[in-house]
Amino acid sequence: MLNAVKNYSTFIDRANPLTKILLAAILFVTVIFIHNPNVLFLLTIIMLIMLLFLSGVKIKYLAILLIFIFISGSIASLYMIFYGEGTQTLFRYGIIHITEESFVRGIHISMRGVILSLFGALVIFTTKITDVFYALMIQLKIKPKYAYSFMAAIRMVPIIIAEYFQLRQARKVRKALIHKKYISGFRGLKSTIVTLLSQSIRRAYRLGIAMESKGFSDGVRTYYHKTSFSKYDLYLIALVGAAVFAALQFGTVISPFTSTDAR
Amino acid sequence: MAQRNGLTLTDILITVVIALVFAVIYSLWDGIYTILQPFGLHLNELVYGMWFIAAIVAYLVIRKPGVALIAEFAAASGETIVLLQFDISLIMYGLIQGLACELIFMFFRYKSTSLMVAVLAGIAAALSTLPLDWYYGYLGMLETWNLVLMFSFRILSGALVAGWLGHLLYKALKETGVLKFVGQRHGNSHEGL
Repeated sequence: MLNAVKNYSTFIDRANPLTKILLAAILFVTVIFIHNPNVLFLLTIIMLIMLLFLSGVKIKYLAILLIFIFISGSIASLYMIFYGEGTQTLFRYGIIHITEESFVRGIHISMRGVILSLFGALVIFTTKITDVFYALMIQLKIKPKYAYSFMAAIRMVPIIIAEYFQLRQARKVRKALIHKKYISGFRGLKSTIVTLLSQSIRRAYRLGIAMESKGFSDGVRTYYHKTSFSKYDLYLIALVGAAVFAALQFGTVISPFTSTDAR
Repeated sequence: MAQRNGLTLTDILITVVIALVFAVIYSLWDGIYTILQPFGLHLNELVYGMWFIAAIVAYLVIRKPGVALIAEFAAASGETIVLLQFDISLIMYGLIQGLACELIFMFFRYKSTSLMVAVLAGIAAALSTLPLDWYYGYLGMLETWNLVLMFSFRILSGALVAGWLGHLLYKALKETGVLKFVGQRHGNSHEGL
């Protein structure tokens, strides 16, 4: 599925999934401690460039994703732009009070989200989800029962989605026969969730018993799919480290924002 | 079947699947959360509880240590799996919320399935990530009325959406009969076969 949207693969594809997740976690903590909007602005640009060139994804798909990331990123901080504290009033209408400080702060919060989304997109486009669980088992020695239940459950997602649409169609067909109050609003929501949950629990129970009897739950295993740490992990760590370092250094020189502290 | 106390593969699988069902429903209705955001009035906080309802339902069904944490991790990574969007902050938030639920359930020694426990866990999960939000979103710089609004919406959502709705779904699930063979069974429990 991933190959359909990709043009080429890069060294990030060969890096260990655990390295990518760990880097994402470190990046999360890092952006929380950056208060200079100029630094975050540069980091956003660098992450954008990394995504464009290193994900190997066709530009058409990237464009759609980027529009989505930027729109949802800017919507998420509107509360701060509209109602944040500040003294330099830019705009006031009813309860909405936009000040220069709150505006910069809002953009700052948006950029935090966008940076994480951009890096997340890079990770998702260069990682196979099953590899994450193999890496967890092989490198982190997580018990196979956890990893295999996750992998089995992931395979059930398409069935759950199919079931949801089946349920909707079934209701449509019987629309004339069922009173509206049972399929709309809160009761409709409840019956949808309960139907999907009960079917899934039943299926998971059967599959779980089968997998347990086949010895998926414990014991020593060998693996056909192997994951390991390599020089590519070091490259990736160096790249992300350099990106943060460059943003911190040049953030004081290149300054599209006049304020240097969003607080 | 002999009574086993630890988590079996079946328990984990059921937990993860419960979380993924919520992830699917949530993803299909993802628009609601985004639509509610633009006013900046935190209306989106009212559905915030949907993020940790999975932990509460999974606990009520299985009633073993660790279930809430696994369910929250699965629900948080569910978006990655269903929508192919990887967001590390979601996973961090999920783990913290899972731990908060887990603490409440531990306090009741993984026995009670009462509404009160579900509501308490919902409130605990709602409160657990506020410190992180405080730093991430500079909440201290928000006008007070807006901050109070956000806090109360979130706590209300944790209690109602996660706790009360979660418990309601659990009762409905029990009526369907699928829980007969699933999860922890206590000798004196009314849950017997």
